[in-house]
Amino acid sequence: MTQVHNPEAVRELPPAPREHLTSPVTRSVLRIQNQITAAAREFLGAAGFVELFPPIIGPVTDPGARGAKQVDVDYYGHRYKLMTSAILYKQASLLAFDKIFYIAPNIRLEPLETCSTSRHLAEFHQIDVEMAGASRQAITHVAEGLVTHAVRRVVDTMPDELAALGRSPDAFAWVLHEPGFGRMTHHDAVLDLHALGHRQSPDAEIDWVGERLLSAQRARPFFITDYPKGSRGFYDRESREHPGSLRNFDLIAPDGYGELCSGSEREHDYARIVTRIRETGENPAKYGWYLELAREGIPASAGFGLGVERFTRYVGGLHSVWQASAYPKLPGVVSP
Amino acid sequence: MSGLHAPGFPEDAVRERARLGAAAAFPDRAEYGRSLFGASATAPADLIDAIRVVPPVFVPQRLEKLIDLGREPVYPDVDLATVVGGFRSPLPLFVSAFGSTRVASTDLGVAVSRAAGRAGVPMVIGENVVPMNGYGRMEGAAASGALRGRLAAYAEHAPDGLGGVVVQQSTEDADAEVWNLVYSDPAATALLDSGRLAFELKVGQGAKPGLGGMTVVSRAAAAAVAEQYTLDDLFGPQAAHVLRCSSPGTFTAEILRQQIRLMRNNFPRARVWVKLPPARDVGDAAAVSWAAGADAVTVDGAEGGTGWAPRGFLDHVGLPLAECLRRIGTPQGGLLVSGRMWAGPRAVKALALGATAVGLGRAALVAADEDPRHGLDRLLECLALELRLLISALGKYTPAALDGEDIWRPDRVDPADLTIYPADLGGERIHEYPHG
Repeated sequence: MTQVHNPEAVRELPPAPREHLTSPVTRSVLRIQNQITAAAREFLGAAGFVELFPPIIGPVTDPGARGAKQVDVDYYGHRYKLMTSAILYKQASLLAFDKIFYIAPNIRLEPLETCSTSRHLAEFHQIDVEMAGASRQAITHVAEGLVTHAVRRVVDTMPDELAALGRSPDAFAWVLHEPGFGRMTHHDAVLDLHALGHRQSPDAEIDWVGERLLSAQRARPFFITDYPKGSRGFYDRESREHPGSLRNFDLIAPDGYGELCSGSEREHDYARIVTRIRETGENPAKYGWYLELAREGIPASAGFGLGVERFTRYVGGLHSVWQASAYPKLPGVVSP
Repeated sequence: MSGLHAPGFPEDAVRERARLGAAAAFPDRAEYGRSLFGASATAPADLIDAIRVVPPVFVPQRLEKLIDLGREPVYPDVDLATVVGGFRSPLPLFVSAFGSTRVASTDLGVAVSRAAGRAGVPMVIGENVVPMNGYGRMEGAAASGALRGRLAAYAEHAPDGLGGVVVQQSTEDADAEVWNLVYSDPAATALLDSGRLAFELKVGQGAKPGLGGMTVVSRAAAAAVAEQYTLDDLFGPQAAHVLRCSSPGTFTAEILRQQIRLMRNNFPRARVWVKLPPARDVGDAAAVSWAAGADAVTVDGAEGGTGWAPRGFLDHVGLPLAECLRRIGTPQGGLLVSGRMWAGPRAVKALALGATAVGLGRAALVAADEDPRHGLDRLLECLALELRLLISALGKYTPAALDGEDIWRPDRVDPADLTIYPADLGGERIHEYPHG
């Protein structure tokens, strides 16, 4: 039986550290998470990806996080940022290896309204994958394989932990019976939401409520592709055939759990990158080191970031993403 | 009073209003019964000043009002409530941006915020406030002129459901992530929850179209922001101050469209305003902005500006406000204008030319400088009275009812018949403005 999650019903905040860390639920969740990251390393390693350590601070970071504030660090008198995501470094790292991944911590001071979405943390981790020369089709195939492999691993090896969390393996019937994820374009997702009576802007990211509505209607993970420009960071490649549409995707978990992963083919041409940065309202000068590399040439690529805590929440059937963190930091909530 | 001056601006008249309130809409009452009053000999400063408000004899809308009320309508029957860029305002007015300009970064900025909040009139907080003055979250209470202090002063005094705060961001502000900072700040929650926060994308400004913001800063302040701004040592190496310049920012139709869409995407609970300079393609830029989903387009006439601008720009660069409005034509969304706004007639003319509301920039600063506690209240009171008098004289009872029939434009008359030489523009002929 699948559970449809309704975050409106749950407003629970994380308990104090001792209670949280000694809770049998937390222990089961963190063991499952450990299995997920082990399975990810196994899967990506076997596919030829090299794991690198992610940078933690830099003169710039990913500006693409919607509405979230970056954290400034005083780096010898220069304003540095904690990584909201290491996307710029992922592209640069392809100068060393064609296939790389990080398991990277990210900090985003999300808007306070996200505190009650059940799926936002100010501090979280991503399995960050980047692959030179890859198309969107190729990289979604990697994401599909990675998610399927990790879920199968947990279902096969951790039935007791899942049972302890009350998570039925039936939720993952798609792993056995219906291989491959669903796909829909952003355009069709907007039409579906309008048909459901939800006011979704056709120019914007699918909002939290819309994403949950679409997710609740499905029993296996699915990709939403081709988001409109203006809803994403400058590094998502704009379609040459359909200007205004991006060669990107989100991976959405079923049963109301919502977004797990975002990815895209990347812009790698210098002039296009500079123009796209301007479309986000920024002065390209701040991206100096990255633009210098791009001017000299960086590989075409595609990649994605899979949220570890969100993925764990889905696998464990948890009511809130904070349950998948040993030291959860909810947006705006002061916590250790 | 802080020693603030606004040369070229009717400063004395604004100060009088800040002291006397609505009574300043009329001549000195001590002269009543002793003097004969007529038009002043002051020459108009620009085309909008030269335009006349022209009431009709036949007033069908007054008849509608008469039927509605069951008595003859009078000027207090004018309902001035207007939706200004998505905010409910009791007046078709807003307080426009004055940024990190030194005169605005003192307690004056907070005094204006308090008064605008009390009146429930929307208020714009200018660009470059955060990179220059800080935000006021971690810096302690000292940074009262900082953005957060102005925001809090407004929110504390605003009546329920009225007004709103608009936070501007320029290219340099994007570096300090002003919008992200405000959007995730507990101090902004009350405004966000009540739909009273907007972000204004600053494409340009009235005083120096084609240039970015310019202010004079001390060498110490300049050193702190050297990574974000261009600093020009034009006062000489011995001088204590340098010129700090922002970039004008690069725009194409696509860049403007996408910046607006990104604002709507990233800040779905905030309204989106776009501030345009008096540029020759202002009509195209306004159309792109509305089509991309802007709640309001603000146009700053070349007559406006509280910042430091080169003399050549102040007198010679940019379209006058009336011509901006002509090029925009019928607005496809909220259209807000500013530039030398301080009195009812100019506001009514701008509304008749298509604006939804008018912004007070220098006038708000001067009024608060005259009397920090009540100066702006009194100026607004006087403006409200004048607006009611003028709109009712036109046989109309809401600002939205005003249109082109309510004004007479001298620029539509053969220019050879006109001999207006505005003294304070150095004798420039009024009919040299482009024709409508």
